Amino acid sequence: MAQEHCVIIGNGPAANQAALTLRENSSDARITIVGQEPFPHYRPHLLPEYIAGRLSQEDLCVNTPAFYKECGIKVRLGQKVVHVDFNKRELVLDHKEVISFGGLIIACGGKQRIPEHLQVFDDLMLTLKTPADAAQWIEQLSQVDSVLIVGGDLTSLSLTKALLSLEKRVIFMLNEDSFWPVPLCNELSEKIKHMLTERGVEVIKAGRIKRVTRVSDRSIEVETDNKTLRVGILGAFFGMTPNVKFLARSGLDIERGVLVDEYLQTRFDLVYAAGDCAQVYHPTIKDYWVSIGYQNAINLGKIAGLNLLGGMLSVDASPESIFFVDGIIVNTSWWTEF
Amino acid sequence: MKTKGKVLREGVHRIKESRVFDIRSEALPTWCPGCGYFGIHQGLNNCIQKLGLAHHKVVIVSGIGCAGRSLFFTRTYGLHTVHGRTLPVATGVKTANPELTVFAVGGDGDGLAIGGGHLPHVARRNVNVNYLLFDNSIYGLTKGQPSPSSPVGMKSKASPSGTIDKPLNATLLALTYGASFVARLFAGDPDSICRALIEGVQHPGFSIFHIYTSCVTFDKEFKTWANLKKWVHPLPQDHDPSDLRQAFDRVLDDEFSVGIIYKRTDIDK
Amino acid sequence: MPVVDVTVEVCGMAGDGTIAAGGLINEAMSDGGFSVLAFDSYPAEIRGFGRCVTRSRIGNEEIVALEDKTHVLISLNDEQARSRVPFLSENSMIFFDSNPAVYVREDKSLVSELDPETILFGMPFNDIATASAGTTRGRNLTALGCFAAICGAPHDLFRGVIIRKFKSKGEKVLQTNLRSFDAGFDYALEHFSNRIKSIFLIPDKVGGPKKVLLSGNQAIGKAAIDAGLKLYFGYPITPATPIMEYLATHLPALGGRVIQMEDEIASIGAVLGSFYAGTRAMTATSGPGFALMTELITHGVMAEIPAVIINAQRGGPSTGLPTKTEQSDLHAAVFGGPGDSPRIVIAPTNVAECYHYTVKSFQLAEKYQTPVILLADFYLDNRVENLPMPEASESEKSGSNVLPENSLKGSYRRYEITESGISPRALPGMEGFIFSATGLEHTQTGVPDYSPENHMLMTEKRHRKITGALGDLPSPEEFSSGGKLDVGVIGWGSTFGSILEAVTSARNRGLRVGGLKITSIFPFHESVIRAFMNRCSEILIPELNYAGQLANLIGYIHSKDVVRLNRVTGTPFPPSAILEKIEYLVQVGDE
Repeated sequence: MAQEHCVIIGNGPAANQAALTLRENSSDARITIVGQEPFPHYRPHLLPEYIAGRLSQEDLCVNTPAFYKECGIKVRLGQKVVHVDFNKRELVLDHKEVISFGGLIIACGGKQRIPEHLQVFDDLMLTLKTPADAAQWIEQLSQVDSVLIVGGDLTSLSLTKALLSLEKRVIFMLNEDSFWPVPLCNELSEKIKHMLTERGVEVIKAGRIKRVTRVSDRSIEVETDNKTLRVGILGAFFGMTPNVKFLARSGLDIERGVLVDEYLQTRFDLVYAAGDCAQVYHPTIKDYWVSIGYQNAINLGKIAGLNLLGGMLSVDASPESIFFVDGIIVNTSWWTEF
Repeated sequence: MKTKGKVLREGVHRIKESRVFDIRSEALPTWCPGCGYFGIHQGLNNCIQKLGLAHHKVVIVSGIGCAGRSLFFTRTYGLHTVHGRTLPVATGVKTANPELTVFAVGGDGDGLAIGGGHLPHVARRNVNVNYLLFDNSIYGLTKGQPSPSSPVGMKSKASPSGTIDKPLNATLLALTYGASFVARLFAGDPDSICRALIEGVQHPGFSIFHIYTSCVTFDKEFKTWANLKKWVHPLPQDHDPSDLRQAFDRVLDDEFSVGIIYKRTDIDK
Repeated sequence: MPVVDVTVEVCGMAGDGTIAAGGLINEAMSDGGFSVLAFDSYPAEIRGFGRCVTRSRIGNEEIVALEDKTHVLISLNDEQARSRVPFLSENSMIFFDSNPAVYVREDKSLVSELDPETILFGMPFNDIATASAGTTRGRNLTALGCFAAICGAPHDLFRGVIIRKFKSKGEKVLQTNLRSFDAGFDYALEHFSNRIKSIFLIPDKVGGPKKVLLSGNQAIGKAAIDAGLKLYFGYPITPATPIMEYLATHLPALGGRVIQMEDEIASIGAVLGSFYAGTRAMTATSGPGFALMTELITHGVMAEIPAVIINAQRGGPSTGLPTKTEQSDLHAAVFGGPGDSPRIVIAPTNVAECYHYTVKSFQLAEKYQTPVILLADFYLDNRVENLPMPEASESEKSGSNVLPENSLKGSYRRYEITESGISPRALPGMEGFIFSATGLEHTQTGVPDYSPENHMLMTEKRHRKITGALGDLPSPEEFSSGGKLDVGVIGWGSTFGSILEAVTSARNRGLRVGGLKITSIFPFHESVIRAFMNRCSEILIPELNYAGQLANLIGYIHSKDVVRLNRVTGTPFPPSAILEKIEYLVQVGDE
């Protein structure tokens, strides 16, 4: 394995942990991280803090470029993998570069899920995944006072915290499929509503958004089933969906994400997946579960790294911490984060 | 009764009055008595006088060797340059001031050895300089080494067993290089040199005068006066100097015919 | 007004239009009012293949040297561009074709070589060019369009230059190029709208003369013409050939002639012959050709005949490195040739000086009746700077022959020993002053003479004459705030630009450092140099040669050993290397 090329697709927490784990356990492996975004590895869950002005851009960054150089980990930013050929064991980047790999860890994370009926209003809604998104929030927040958050996933909760600290008026429209892939059960829904209202957020009844129009450069009009609102920013937070379209015809088993066993291995030798893009098999439950959140991502990245080097660590997911929901199983240690 | 002295004095006076020797410098030539160069020098001087060229509008460019000393003995502007480079320097002088009449003067070493690479180009450019190549087939000034025109078997300190390389034929080279006026002459006949020079000076292009001469000090075997007088003869009466092919034939067949070998008449300036 | 100081490279294969693209950048930036200094590298061999790199430093203040690092790289051929990656600065920008014709393996890829902080602008050049103009011929212009848009250069700036350059090639070519450029520009604006960097803010027009782009060779050519050159005799040799070709284009219309001789010896011979006859002539060559000329140069010294010789130095010895720069001919220029043969050697440091010193060379040659050698080098000859079109005043151009008075007719002595050492020189055609010039040692009347006293006197005369030229030669120029200096940096030729940049940086950091520019290599201003050296603790002499040829010449003047900094890389001296040494010397001096 040492002389072979270990490639990690993605530059998020799972990907970076995988890279570091590989380096810690193999001093001479050739390791490359290929990240689609042009930003150095940052803590995504801290973006709301950055928006709130409590963190600088440097604080977002986990490691300096020099760090990776010293570790001998090659980092390739702003470069997208468009195809993987598991037979030839090659992947292709969007500028037609072909990279051979000996071992591969797919940790490309997820992208914002926008429900179909809202996709038409894409350019009027802000999401929050990257520092570029955060920059947009910062710029627009300097001009407006109110924000309508539609959906209500993890990110939206921490963002709300940030918006409140900036003394913005926050209106929250909690949706059934907000915590996708966890449909909100009533109990959970009430709990969240209560928490939000206690902190000064206007929680409004869920209704379907029918139309969104820009009224002026500081005002957006949102028309739902039962009311019409005017706000400064419309934020859409409907959870993440694994960003694995590029692997569609590669031969991997893909449901929503990449299907892997409890050792995070795919059907191909020396090919693993970790983090938000993976669906992990639980031998006890005999089904696949999806990981959410920063800590999980790091944990999975570590395991993938170790196993790629020959380890046989299985993901420790005790049944108690798994939510049982209709057909979808989630490991939710995030609950304590908010 | 005029004394011998008085006759002489009056003679000298007459000569001085005629100014015919004004072309000559104060300094006396340093060549060995009997050197062929005296004859050439006389031919050159007479040509200048006969053409009535203003002395200050004549430039003699010379190289290194006994031949190169010529210009010190002629009262014109002179440029005594380095060995073998007479022709390019003369090219510079003439191109800079076409009003000047430019003579280039050098020996067979100067022209055929170190300077051999310049002859083709001054010929093809048809620069209007008049080149006198003094060919005594020896390096006299450095005391007797063979030259590119020395015959095979010539013995010298530098070639004790005799030379083994074939000699170059300067006239043939001149024709091959396309010189537009080629004359071969003999230093023992200064008048013929004068006549040829007059024609060459008036020729609107490059003219080369290949002049056989003798080095009395170092060549006692080959180009002695006796031998040269025996070998040298004029070109046939029917020789047509405008016929290049004939010129080649003549020169290939006959090494010692003298006269105007070739003269091109259709010069496009 | 923020400081603009950007180094832009275009890299491609021969045939990609690399050099043309670089040239357009230079012109556009010059039109925009920026200072430009550009130096291209070509394939070493003549035809077909090889890497072309254009390198342009663009700024809103005067530029005197190239920087080591490149900020923007435009790749027209990724495989070639890979070689430029080690020279990229931090956070540099790369423009490359994101849809090449064939797939590239990681080990041959340009992008795989780059640091993660490099800012990538991948655009499908081929596709954009084909879509807009139906051909990929204008691909290099598409890349330029992308570059121009991203860097905030106004659209019309480049368009204006493209129109100017390609108008003569016909409407079809012009339109292809304009469309290709526009398409690249528009594509970049559309796809990278959030990443536009306004680097090239056009400086406010302060007025002043319009600037033109000139290479060192062009400056030399123009200077010769302006100085009334009538005859050029030369032989092709890199990097001097462009001078001959420039003159061949321009001289005939002015009644002059360019004559290609059979070799360098013939060239210098003809130049001497021409000056002897009173007409200004010139030849230009490089090291190997110059070596051939030395015999005749000393002839000019002995016979006191003027000549103007340009020695465009290149890597040596012998055939050496024809397309690389070096400063290793100083010894040859000053001392080359047999005997004690003093002559004037002058070395410009930039394009403007290439012009003015070439003009000056003719006057010096005529007045001091000596060959004058102007030492340029490959870098200086081929680099392009923008400057106001150089012109020469009447007094700079006028003839300087020292002619004999009429009273001397009949008793004229060509090599008269005078106080200045300069003997009035008659020209052929002048009645009453007949003389012969000779390379033999001679008396005052020019008659060959080998006697001991005569040789001593004449040798001394010739030396005194040349020393007397100091008054007419440019004095060393100091760049410092005066007073005592920890380090004094002395240099010559194109290296001085790098020295000036390093010295300026050092001074900006508060170091007590100064620079001294030497342009008169021989004779040199010993007392001025001594006065400078006496104020410096350390003297540093950086040169592009192995042992330090200027250091050899003037090092003795300093009270202790001078510090030599030498490089023979064939490339211009990087200012950073000089700065590093300066800082080291200051630090060592402090201890």
